[in-house]
Amino acid sequence: MYYPEPISKLIDSFTKLPGIGPKTAVRLAFFVINMNDDDVMDFANSLVKAKRELSHCSICGHITDQDPCSICQDNSRNSSVICVVQDPKDVIAMEKMKEFSGKYHVLHGAISPMDGIGPEDINVPDLINRLKDEEVDELILATNPNIEGEATAMYISRLVKPSGVRTTRIAHGLPVGGDLEYADEVTLSKAIEGRRDL
Amino acid sequence: MLEKIAGIIVKTQDYGETHKIVTIFSKKIGKFAAIARGAKKPKSRMAAVTQPFIYGEFLVYVNKGLSTIQQGEIIDSLRAIREDIIKTSYAAYLMELTDKMMDNHLPDPYLFDQLYLTMQWVADNDSVDIPMMMYEMKLFAIGGFAPTVDQCVRCGRKELPFSFSIAEGGLLCKQCKYIDGSRIDLPDSIAKLLHLFMAVGLERIGTISVKAKNRQLLREILDAYYDQYGGYYLKTKRFLKQMDRLH
Repeated sequence: MYYPEPISKLIDSFTKLPGIGPKTAVRLAFFVINMNDDDVMDFANSLVKAKRELSHCSICGHITDQDPCSICQDNSRNSSVICVVQDPKDVIAMEKMKEFSGKYHVLHGAISPMDGIGPEDINVPDLINRLKDEEVDELILATNPNIEGEATAMYISRLVKPSGVRTTRIAHGLPVGGDLEYADEVTLSKAIEGRRDL
Repeated sequence: MLEKIAGIIVKTQDYGETHKIVTIFSKKIGKFAAIARGAKKPKSRMAAVTQPFIYGEFLVYVNKGLSTIQQGEIIDSLRAIREDIIKTSYAAYLMELTDKMMDNHLPDPYLFDQLYLTMQWVADNDSVDIPMMMYEMKLFAIGGFAPTVDQCVRCGRKELPFSFSIAEGGLLCKQCKYIDGSRIDLPDSIAKLLHLFMAVGLERIGTISVKAKNRQLLREILDAYYDQYGGYYLKTKRFLKQMDRLH
């Protein structure tokens, strides 16, 4: 009402983003108005491209602009080890580590008894099909160390173990740079359980 | 006002990038919601203590609306529950039911003790149906829709045998049972158990042995009763059904 229609539409669009309130939306909208035309066009094109050109990889479920994704196409990677993660962002986090050369499977969520999200609601059937079709030696369950992640890992390990595929869970414990004194009992007991020889 | 409050985390919800809103059921002030700032950061000292099912002691700025957690320490992590998907799903059901039935800031020390005892039972035992049903029936009473299980709901007669009527909301004696065509005729032991579940706390139960057939009947009665009178859709119930289908 106070703004010309194009600006109020832009403000409305910004408020749809997470963590953006009305005041921030107004600030962003006015920032966009003051940007030069090329930058605005690039910004708008990036939004449209990201939405239109991205899809999920038909093998691993990771977000990609080509199917299969670059990781699944890469023959230099070890396809006998699959790392199961909850979210495409987790694949990026693992890749930043530069120490994992296997392949991935993205579940797009986690089993959550509290939210009523069961195994039928996440990308588990595709994982089972992959285990049937591909020669897999190890499945690394890299879901988050919380109730949902643990429930998901437990469910998948129950499902997969009878097939003889080695199922492992990422280690839990103290964060690098953390302080033992301030660690809680659950984390410490997990750290002690997961100790290793030096 | 800064208070030290011991309680069980019944619900958690992410708030922004790094915060969490947790619902705690405590003995002292009942159920309340509190924000745990920074609890989602990997190095946060509150990350573990604000996980669901944790029984902890919290230092809380108590407000009528949203309280704020300053610190927390784990009293009992009930670890066995989080390490078993079936136990997790039962515990989640207990928590959701508690969250739905209890009003905020209304202490109920007896129910709190029953919840903790039931959670301990779930953590330590494989057979959890009976303690779960005992707790559920006590929550039905808190919710104001407990079935009448100590006498005939119609005439007040206390002599066995009884039938259970969902429509009438409790037991019917042999004279009154004909008013409900869809009643469930109960073996005497089941009628006695229903009364026991309502009247007795879990602390007085040592071992419970109920035939699988009778356990199933009790489960069906309570489920049908909740569907009729409960009024809230329980997401955890859907999950339990998915688990049942898969195993």
